[in-house]
Amino acid sequence: MKKLRLYYEEYNKKPYQLLWKHFVPQHFALFGLIILSVLLLLAVISPFISPHDPYQQNAELLLLAPSWQGSGLVSYPFGTDDLGRDLMSRLMLGASYSFGLAILAVCGSMLIGLLLGALAGMTRGVQSSIFNHLLDLALTIPSLLLAIVIVAVLGPGLLNTIWAIMLALLPQFIHGVGNAIQEQLKQDYVVAYRLDGANNWQILWSVVLPNLWEPLSLLFTMALSTAILDIAALGFLGLGAQAPTPEWGSMVADALDSIYLAPWTVALPGLLIFITVLSINLVGDGLHKAMKKRRGS
Amino acid sequence: MNVTLCRIGSLSLVLWLTACQPAPATHGANGLVYCAEGSPETFNPQLVTSGTTIDAISQHLYDRLLDIDPNDGSLKPALAQSWQVSADGLSYRFKLRSDVQFHQTKYFTPARPLNAEDVTFTFNRMLLLDHPFFQTAIEYPYFDSIDWRHRVQSVTAVSPDEVEFKLNQPDSSFLSVLATDFSAILSAEYGAQLVQRNEKLNLDLLPIGTGPFVFREYQKDVLIRYYRHTAYWREHGSLTQLVVDIVPDNTKRLAKLLTQECDVAPIPRLAELEMLSNRSDFRVDQQTSMNVGFWAFNTQKAPFNQVKVRQALALAVNKPNIMQAVYFGQAEEATSVLPPNSWAYRKQNAPEGFNPVKARQLLEEAGYPNGFSLDIWAMPVQRMYNPNAQKMAELIQADLRAIGIKARIVSYEWNTFRRKLGQGEHDSVLIGWSADNADPDNFLRPLLSCAAAVSGSNRANWCDPQFDQFIASALQTTNVPQRRSYYLAAQQYLQEQMPLVPIAHSKRFQVKNHKVTGVSINPYGGISFVNAGKTP
Amino acid sequence: MILRYLARRLFLLGFVFVALTIFVFSLNYLFPGDLVSNLTGLRDISPEQHQELQQTLGLNQSIWQQYIEYNRRLFAGDWGLSFSSQQSVLTEIGKVLPATLELTSYALCLSLLVGIPLGLLAAVKKDSLLDKCISSVALVGYSMPVFWLALICIMLFSLQLGWLPTSGRLGVLFEVPAQTGFIFIDILLAPQIDRSAAAYNALLHLTLPTLILASYPTNVMIRFVRHSMVDVLDQNYIKTARAKGLSRGQVLYRHGLRNALLPVTRQVGLQFSSLITLAMLTEVIFSWPGIGQWLIDSIYQRNYPAIQAGLLVVSSLVICVNMLTEIVHTLFNPLARKL
Repeated sequence: MKKLRLYYEEYNKKPYQLLWKHFVPQHFALFGLIILSVLLLLAVISPFISPHDPYQQNAELLLLAPSWQGSGLVSYPFGTDDLGRDLMSRLMLGASYSFGLAILAVCGSMLIGLLLGALAGMTRGVQSSIFNHLLDLALTIPSLLLAIVIVAVLGPGLLNTIWAIMLALLPQFIHGVGNAIQEQLKQDYVVAYRLDGANNWQILWSVVLPNLWEPLSLLFTMALSTAILDIAALGFLGLGAQAPTPEWGSMVADALDSIYLAPWTVALPGLLIFITVLSINLVGDGLHKAMKKRRGS
Repeated sequence: MNVTLCRIGSLSLVLWLTACQPAPATHGANGLVYCAEGSPETFNPQLVTSGTTIDAISQHLYDRLLDIDPNDGSLKPALAQSWQVSADGLSYRFKLRSDVQFHQTKYFTPARPLNAEDVTFTFNRMLLLDHPFFQTAIEYPYFDSIDWRHRVQSVTAVSPDEVEFKLNQPDSSFLSVLATDFSAILSAEYGAQLVQRNEKLNLDLLPIGTGPFVFREYQKDVLIRYYRHTAYWREHGSLTQLVVDIVPDNTKRLAKLLTQECDVAPIPRLAELEMLSNRSDFRVDQQTSMNVGFWAFNTQKAPFNQVKVRQALALAVNKPNIMQAVYFGQAEEATSVLPPNSWAYRKQNAPEGFNPVKARQLLEEAGYPNGFSLDIWAMPVQRMYNPNAQKMAELIQADLRAIGIKARIVSYEWNTFRRKLGQGEHDSVLIGWSADNADPDNFLRPLLSCAAAVSGSNRANWCDPQFDQFIASALQTTNVPQRRSYYLAAQQYLQEQMPLVPIAHSKRFQVKNHKVTGVSINPYGGISFVNAGKTP
Repeated sequence: MILRYLARRLFLLGFVFVALTIFVFSLNYLFPGDLVSNLTGLRDISPEQHQELQQTLGLNQSIWQQYIEYNRRLFAGDWGLSFSSQQSVLTEIGKVLPATLELTSYALCLSLLVGIPLGLLAAVKKDSLLDKCISSVALVGYSMPVFWLALICIMLFSLQLGWLPTSGRLGVLFEVPAQTGFIFIDILLAPQIDRSAAAYNALLHLTLPTLILASYPTNVMIRFVRHSMVDVLDQNYIKTARAKGLSRGQVLYRHGLRNALLPVTRQVGLQFSSLITLAMLTEVIFSWPGIGQWLIDSIYQRNYPAIQAGLLVVSSLVICVNMLTEIVHTLFNPLARKL
């Protein structure tokens, strides 16, 4: 049945609504988005809703089985780890470390990357060439190695790994933003603006930046999945989060000692990392497809 | 036709896969692989006290004058056939065996069997400052901690097969000292050769001894390879090769055991003991062992120089928790440094257990009503006296938080850890000690004497002349009840002063593949593969 | 013209190397501990030695002079001593680098052999069930943390089924002296051992780490090749070729493949850096004696000279690989040549 229209008017959907319209039919991507929102919510409110104190050790209930096994208790839904701490509370708090901090790191990196990328994209000639080649250098140092160097200088700890991740992601953002800006500058409407008399800054602000959010959001999702995997990897190696911080990667490393007795203590944090990264990739893919459809349609 | 072919193909694939036996990781070679938890620091037991190094080198490469019977702790002849002690206890004379051959390797061929010269060479190294090899080592931790240079007057060769030790005062633990793993006998001929070739450091790096295995190669932090010593003087097992595979990570060690890449592994995770005992392809050996795991305070640093603070910290530790979480019930709570199976131990008035209220009170009295912050250094390796120092540190961290003290856990790679510990960088450390012989002096002196504070094995950096007096007096007499009373006084004093908090005496475990024969736990000292064999 | 291009590339390469050495040199000042200790790798330096070394290292001069001195030492082969072993860092790296190179190259080859055909298949049969299956598997593999995957595989294949060993390159009872560092060559050169048994053993040890390491690049390759091929198949010249009457196979081979695979070479170079990161993690889990495990051990031991040297070597390797793939890409791609 046609929608009731009281009067004739052209009704065009806004770009965001169009995007959403193309995004929703992709069920997997939508599913990923829902999971991501749940995780984000957990990252923010977990200290208030976790069933037990994540740091509370309980000597009577070491390595308790999860509640779906016969020897488990419902009050400890995922069981306990080898010091008697409730696994579910730790996993929930871990969301704020592994996921929340990753988002913060990527946002920080993106902001700085935007600034520097604008510089890289808008300049030309020798300056730009030097800058780009310095960037190439930064791209060639593997992120883990960079993190190791930073940890060697600053010492291990979660905060230092955040700096390391930000530094490691920066070149990708600068590169991506620089390329995107270069592409924008070739467009006809930029020529039109220049003919109208706009200077570089005005072009950047009014024309280039609003068109950037598409490639930027794709870069964001890719960088986010890399950031989460890197934070987890560093935590696993013992260079990141230190005991007793319940970051997912370091939880896997701690639980390795009891892998034969309590494999769920290793499996569950790893599973959560996997689910998080999978959702991000699903959303990224869905976003990419939706953008293409929106442009093509 | 295509479909049938497909079906036959997949069926045969499935059959082939299920029929695949797990291929053993080693082919052909009749060798044994022992998975060690750390690298050796050197190849000469004189230079170390670390159990890891002793396990990796001592009983394989070397013999001693005397051996300790693993069943009752008594002393048995080894390289020395017989011995006599003079009436005044100042002179010990040993008669040596005549059929002991040294190792032959790429870098040394012996021209003669063992004689008295080798024994004097070995022991004078730590005694005489002009001995050519005295300077090549930084320290001799065990011998320094028992004050070898002041204890022993001279070591001389009376005849080609008789050696005499002259002491400065009677010492009832002297024979036990000669039976420890540290008193390994070196080759004087090899020493002379090295001096000639100007390669003195090789005495400790490319070892020559008389033991059942010959050194073949060492890949740093990876493995040590030994070949069989065919001319060994004792009856020994049938192994052609012994490889010590260095696997610091506990889970990896167990994994290697399960996939048969390792035949023997020490100190399994206590939590998995039950699982391993239930499997028919592994044997778990256990023994009540003479060891102690403790929490030592660096008494040279404030506020640990105050007795009240140390007492308070001791009262804050919830030991039953640790027994359960770290030792899984396989250890005894320690009330003294000496374990209950030592003859100098007597159940005293047990010290006050877990009492956080009193702890807070004592802290206030000492002038720290708001607590303070400290470091707990946790060993990164598993030792039998402490299978999981990291976890123990976390438990103590939580206990201390309850009395207002903030603790930070510090750890490094094992050799780096020991080095920094030796430099006194720690506030407190979780470490321990296991016995080298049955004598109680072996526990008290290397851990808490003033000489040991200088040599480095006294982790509490505690030097108290009163305590030294107790243990010195105990050595003067061979009358056992008298010795025992001195040791009791020493233990009582320790309880009052509390330079360290004894935590547990643990049982010693070892897991081996069911194909391995002839390997049992040695309660005193390093693991021995002298009688080891492997059934195919 | 090619020569001019190469000359430009080499000049840029030199520039990047200079920047790298400046970065590594500055680390000497940033790392905690004594500067002389960090530069030379000696641990206990007596005060007189300290003075002497300050002279030899040129520490009394300006920063630029010091930097030039540092470079001179690098070229002369004096990279300092490792804190823990007090051996030359260069010899230690020489021992561990071949292991990593072996593992990485096998993994890369595997990822190319498996990833490219699968990606092409998925692109050609776009939106079919096969395509959806391949894409989902690639997505799942792309999202899995490598250490978790490794642990699960070890649990399954080594411990449950007992098919594969858990760590190392070769069973320890085989005595194979390390002459080149590449295990199969060393087995051929080793005296007095059962060669076929040793080679089989080495292969068993190589299987699981290679598969785990190859999982991420394979999945990236599948996604990338699929994307690239789909783009190419959309182009007008493909439609023209079909319209001319070429069969699907001919179109694919003559026009589709070459154009689709061009960006792949570039991508390999870009992915190499993340491959090294994954190789480091894999080496730690499987105790593979390569440069990754060596570097991570160095950080645990706070072995600063080793970290610097490792950084220099690994970054140089990545830069060289990047440069090579770019040159190959430019050689085959006329569109890129005009730059």
